[in-house]
Amino acid sequence: MGESGKINTLLFVTTLLLTFIGVVMVYSASQVWAQFKYNNEYYYLWRQLIFAGIGIIGMIFISKIDYHLYRNNASKIFLFVFFLLIIVLIPGIGIIRGGARSWIGIGSFSLQPSEFMKIACIILLSKYLSDYYKDMKKPKYIIMLLGVIILVFGVIMLQPDFGTGMIIIATAILILFVSGVNLSYFLYLGLAGAGGIVLLIISAPYRLQRIFAYLDPWSDPLGAGFQIIQSLYAIAPGGVFGVGFGNSIQKSFYLPEPQTDFIFAIILEELGFIGGVAIIILYLIFLLTSLKISYHAVDLFGKFLALGITLTIFIQFFINIGVVIGLLPVTGVTLPFLSYGGSSLAVTLLGVGIILNVSKYQHDD
Amino acid sequence: MNDFIFIMQKRLKFLMILFSALVIVLIFRLSFIQFVNGSDITNRAINLWSRNIPVEGQRGTIYDRNGKPIVNNKLAPSVALIPRQVEKKEEVAKFLSEVLSISYEDSYKHVTKNVNVELIKPKGKKITLDQAKQIINKNYKGVYLVGDTVRNYLYDSYLAHVLGFVGIDNQGITGIEYMYEDYLMGEGGASKYFTDAKGYSLSNLYGIYDAPSKGMDIYLTIDIELQILLERVLENANARYRPDQMLGLIMNPKNGEIYAMASYPSYNPAEYQNYDQEIYNRNLPIWMSYEPGSTFKIITYSAGIEEGVFKLDEHFYDPGYTMVDGTRIKDWKAGGHGDQTFLEVIQNSCNPGFMEIGRRLGTERLFDYIDRYGFGKKTGVDLLGESSGIVFDVEDVGPVELATSSFGQGNSVTPIQLVTATSAAINGGLLYQPYVLKDIRMPITNELIYESTPKEVRRVISEETSDVMRYALESVVARGTGRNAFIDGYRVGGKTGTAQKAVNGVYLENNYIVSFIGAAPMNDPELVVYFAIDNPKDTIQYGGVVAAPIVKEILKEALPILGINRQDNQIEKVYRWGMDLRYHPVPDLIGKKKNKLPYQIYYKYEFFGEGEVVKYQSPSPGEKVVEGGMILVYLGKE
Repeated sequence: MGESGKINTLLFVTTLLLTFIGVVMVYSASQVWAQFKYNNEYYYLWRQLIFAGIGIIGMIFISKIDYHLYRNNASKIFLFVFFLLIIVLIPGIGIIRGGARSWIGIGSFSLQPSEFMKIACIILLSKYLSDYYKDMKKPKYIIMLLGVIILVFGVIMLQPDFGTGMIIIATAILILFVSGVNLSYFLYLGLAGAGGIVLLIISAPYRLQRIFAYLDPWSDPLGAGFQIIQSLYAIAPGGVFGVGFGNSIQKSFYLPEPQTDFIFAIILEELGFIGGVAIIILYLIFLLTSLKISYHAVDLFGKFLALGITLTIFIQFFINIGVVIGLLPVTGVTLPFLSYGGSSLAVTLLGVGIILNVSKYQHDD
Repeated sequence: MNDFIFIMQKRLKFLMILFSALVIVLIFRLSFIQFVNGSDITNRAINLWSRNIPVEGQRGTIYDRNGKPIVNNKLAPSVALIPRQVEKKEEVAKFLSEVLSISYEDSYKHVTKNVNVELIKPKGKKITLDQAKQIINKNYKGVYLVGDTVRNYLYDSYLAHVLGFVGIDNQGITGIEYMYEDYLMGEGGASKYFTDAKGYSLSNLYGIYDAPSKGMDIYLTIDIELQILLERVLENANARYRPDQMLGLIMNPKNGEIYAMASYPSYNPAEYQNYDQEIYNRNLPIWMSYEPGSTFKIITYSAGIEEGVFKLDEHFYDPGYTMVDGTRIKDWKAGGHGDQTFLEVIQNSCNPGFMEIGRRLGTERLFDYIDRYGFGKKTGVDLLGESSGIVFDVEDVGPVELATSSFGQGNSVTPIQLVTATSAAINGGLLYQPYVLKDIRMPITNELIYESTPKEVRRVISEETSDVMRYALESVVARGTGRNAFIDGYRVGGKTGTAQKAVNGVYLENNYIVSFIGAAPMNDPELVVYFAIDNPKDTIQYGGVVAAPIVKEILKEALPILGINRQDNQIEKVYRWGMDLRYHPVPDLIGKKKNKLPYQIYYKYEFFGEGEVVKYQSPSPGEKVVEGGMILVYLGKE
């Protein structure tokens, strides 16, 4: 085991850059809403700035904690977050926002346990995969692991928070894929998934229409297609160079929640195709760097840990931008680093802190 | 463990490729939105963001045949509100109620209405520039002015019945404005103001002006110079005779183009609401239908020549009446005209002579000509409100009806029918459909969209008969009842008419429509002028006395306008001592010394200026001056 003792600078810098872009764009996107709701156009800016500050300090702090600590306490961490996930469902403790009982709050400070569950699941999976990788050819272990993940998904769906639940499942499946699980299992899994979808459609055919409304949003402009259309109305007028920072029209009440799930639409409107592609490439640099950290990690637990967190960030990134540009149906997934939201940003930065710590212990090859 | 690591490393590398591939998919999709669908989506977005304040399209201009504008447009802004942007609702409502003279309640309702764009109809539409200025000065938020236009009638009430007028939304209601609405109508545009989803204006963005398009321009066959002339003549006649109604019509006999058309009483199209419907809906030259009287004799006469039932030099004795079926039908002249040729029959407008022609033709033949000349049917002129007139059914025509029809009583006709029929009688025998639309052109480019061509309806009489008719009608003016229309130097032909008005089957006493139809020059007629005056006061109600001088006045000025020169081979006027005025040619005086001017018995000199030498004279040398008239002589030094 070689310890360079130094964190990966490229990952650190891209993280800071993305977080900075996030704070600036949250300000621009939220300005009109902030003025309207709180009579203070800087409302969301200040909050995001505080979240980012806490998150970055947290990230630096976490990056100094030896990641093996999580391996030894994996079950405790998982059970603690699972407990939070249960109590968030209890009325009086859990706070409802946007139709989902997802927040636990004390005063003006509140957090989403489901966000933390992403990390907890990854730690748990990493521990078991690194301990029992030899048994992973046996279906029993795979079914057991998947059983835990599906249980978590079920509890999160009680809030309901389909987006987060789905990210956890997708992350788990992709980790299993990388862990060398026989590819035929994925075939069965795919078949099972397809069967489930067919059952859903047979039971209620309108679902198909809803799901695929994003392909032709104008077929239902005020229903399923509404957000996609509003997003496209931001993207297209942006053109190649954008309408300029602060000049978005769609953020003026046309696009719902411009600072959260659809912040990338506002970015494309104000900074244009070029700005959008630049940010996408920044993400790609970040993702490939962290995959490389996983590749070079000195032990299996470190590999799985870095991989799992990278996958979570990638899946959110791909789904969020896919939704914004009308490639995927609307799901309610935030864009890591850029979307407004304390828990989301904090969890992402904590995750990066863990990867940064893994990057301290690297093989040379 | 190494095997396991090996598989994992392989799959991690695969994941890197997958990430890169999926990112390329994102960029590809983004490019597709931006570069393939971009402009379409952007247009939809602009529609979403903008509040359209409609701007009417400008109507096309109406020109005369020489390209002089008759009706164009002038600016009359309209008020448009975006109620959500109005901040001081009460203040704005009060202000608008004062400027637009509407009630405060009404105004407040407009200002607070829950719509994107509110128009204040009708008081806020097409306001005056003065009202607009007040609104601009206040510059209230959410109160906009839109550049609408109203029709601008360059000649006020002239040609009103032909032009028609438009309503508050610039839609054609009558006349040419209605007939050619589809061409004249402009396409509306809009001022787009960007707003947020709640309707407040996005002040950092300029609006887009989606300019309305102008309608097509229409060129009429009307010659505005002739129209002005006709209208002025009508105005003068109105002052002199205070008639019930009057009408005038000038047409090109060679193709049916209408040069001028006027009705009295008339109206101002800009204020049509202030007039009775009966005034603006009755374009008398095509609407009015009455028994024309002697002007109709042109029809009977030409039919008789064509059918060869008489010769011009054939003699006919008029005892002052004709017995028809036991009824004694009198001539207009007590005692009759005695012995005369058939040429003199038309010169004298002798009723027994025409009854004789009618008798010789017989009902079938006379009514066939009446039909072929187009009576009893609309001419099809491209104007609103044409009547068809009423012609006897051939089966119902007995000897009395035949006799009265021959000299213009019993059948009722419209002026336009009479003019087109007379045109056919003198243009070589062809009946044309009259029309006022010359062509339609695109604004600015003047690109021709539609061009009217003369429509020949049918041949009515032969060229030879038409030749004879021209001669006969010229002689009516030179030697007969039309002598008051005689113009020295122009070959004028024509026919008088004194129409009795029948009310409930009884002819009114001392209440006639007197008329004259004239044409010139008679060797090759370029224009036909018809004038009729209903119940002129303080005069003998004869066409020859009232109407002929008016037509003469029109012709005398109209011929130079059309560029038609004087001729000298006209039929010489026959003088009736004490009744007709003599004219004598003026010698050339220019350059002569004042004290060496020849002595004249027919006229006097009147001198202007100082000096001994004649510099200028009026009338010019060669022109004729009425006996006892004056020659104006302008003197100067060497």
